[in-house]
Amino acid sequence: MQSNTARVLVGIGAVAAAVILLLVLKDDGGDDSTGDATTAAKAKPTGAGKGDAGQQKPAKPAVPTIVIRGGKPVGGIAEISVDEGERVRFKVRSDVAEEIHVHGYDIAKEVSAGGTVGFDFPATIEGIFEAELEHLGEQILELTVNP
Amino acid sequence: MIRLFETLPYAHALVARQDLPIPAWLFAWGASIVLIVSFFALSAAWREPRFEDEQRRSLGVGLSRALLGMPAQIICGGVGVFLLGVAVYAGLRGTEAPDRNFAITFLFVTVWLGFPAFSVVLGNVFKPFNPWRAIGRAVGGGFEALAGQRFAHARYPERLGRWPAAIGLLAFVWLEIVYGVSGGVAVGVEPHSAAVAALVYSAYTLTMMVVFGVEEWCERGEVFSVYFGMFSRLGIFGAEGGRLQHRKPLSAAGHWATLPGSTAVVIASIATTSFDGGQEGAFKGGIERVYEWLVDGGLDRTLSLRLTNTLFIALCFAGVALVYLIGVRGMSTVKGAPPLRKLLPGFAHTLIPIAFAYLFAHYFSLFVFQEQAQFGYLLSDPLGTATTDLFGTASSGIDFKVLSSNAIWYVQVGALVVGHVIALVLAHDRATAWWGDYRDAARSQYWMLAVMVAFTCFGLYLLSDANG
Repeated sequence: MQSNTARVLVGIGAVAAAVILLLVLKDDGGDDSTGDATTAAKAKPTGAGKGDAGQQKPAKPAVPTIVIRGGKPVGGIAEISVDEGERVRFKVRSDVAEEIHVHGYDIAKEVSAGGTVGFDFPATIEGIFEAELEHLGEQILELTVNP
Repeated sequence: MIRLFETLPYAHALVARQDLPIPAWLFAWGASIVLIVSFFALSAAWREPRFEDEQRRSLGVGLSRALLGMPAQIICGGVGVFLLGVAVYAGLRGTEAPDRNFAITFLFVTVWLGFPAFSVVLGNVFKPFNPWRAIGRAVGGGFEALAGQRFAHARYPERLGRWPAAIGLLAFVWLEIVYGVSGGVAVGVEPHSAAVAALVYSAYTLTMMVVFGVEEWCERGEVFSVYFGMFSRLGIFGAEGGRLQHRKPLSAAGHWATLPGSTAVVIASIATTSFDGGQEGAFKGGIERVYEWLVDGGLDRTLSLRLTNTLFIALCFAGVALVYLIGVRGMSTVKGAPPLRKLLPGFAHTLIPIAFAYLFAHYFSLFVFQEQAQFGYLLSDPLGTATTDLFGTASSGIDFKVLSSNAIWYVQVGALVVGHVIALVLAHDRATAWWGDYRDAARSQYWMLAVMVAFTCFGLYLLSDANG
């Protein structure tokens, strides 16, 4: 009887494993459905605001701008990846008045409705960090600092 | 200004710095080391059991009396009740920002992640601090003094064993990472909900203690006692009959899974950590798929996400259980094997080091960061409302630079490899005790070896950048 119970359990487990596999593998097939967060920030070279173009030194990469519309980042959560010791630079243009908070680094800046605010700080802490619209609790950026 | 924060949702607010995934090369090295160590273990195997006998030695009477005597028990119990009270009060009256409220860090980091580690090193230290046990014993003592007789408890149904604890463990993690949902995103439980849950759990636990008896319930149904007690079996310190004891390392683990449902407790531990590690990686696509399917089906977003995550925790449990069952089933085919009903719980304790390694690898950095908050600003300003500064540390912060990513990676890989080796040692040792012939014992362990390699490599995978 015990052996039967075990057999039943193994059967249930096998079905469960099959379901997991199906879900995981199915997803691998159609990766686009996961809503990959391709953003303005990822498209670094083209994403710069027009106003900066004149002042930029040629060697300096363009500063990505995260656009907030209706309290949400346009194009999903932005991604920025830098190495430790480099500088983290990005701008946020928002249609709502908010406080933008970079967790871990604990840097917070206010932005007025329709305004733009710039961030420029050294990447001193390794890890993955979120930047949020603090009051809405909406994540707008995933910052990765590699060693 | 700070008042404003109270009604607002916070996504992942407790985890300000997330670990970088283990790079592919280190993942490959870690997995290779696991395989090499495993084959080495096969060849270097011993023939007689070495960890079945605990070889207990009692420690000094004075020390035992000081640490286990009534004054110490009253003090420890009082501290436990007080701290639970502070956590509940902070949860009910403090800010809803989880990172600024004493309740969340204390319950889910300091206690939930701290006690497994303390227990391995120091023995079953949760027992004296267990607030419900303290209250239960005080009430029981009071009843005895007044009524002049012991309270007549109901007999605990033996078949239930530790199943209530296993289900409670799943419920606890469910509350921690599934219940708190905001705008279709799992954000972790809010302080107020955590405090209410603590009160509900207290009422449930105290009721069960009245019905079945304090120690009976702590040994079988009380989630935290059972869970932390399980990890304490790996260490060298124990206590019996009012005496502190020293024992051979790991030896007490083999006598833990003697109650029904124990296997489910350790499987639940591995499964919940796996879910937490995979929910934004390996399981993410599947979770989104099921979630969208439920939302398209007309279900509310919050309900859909809770249902989906609940389903995936259940699947993780089933998956971990399946791997273990395959191992046990395989062993039972080896000549001279004990019956399956003996084998099934008989190797459950070999999963305890794996469960501990999973916990350690996944949450070690969070613990290091969050304890700075616990002993800094949360201690001085437990409500997070900037109204108190009890110890002058209210404005302190967390130094996220104390751990480099490299340090975290090596600790993670190291924990999983060490946990793997200990699991192999325990499994091999049990096999030598239960199989008459050592060659059959070794043969039976090919199966457990496969199980352990699967768990360890899966654990490494969850932490690596392959888990995208």
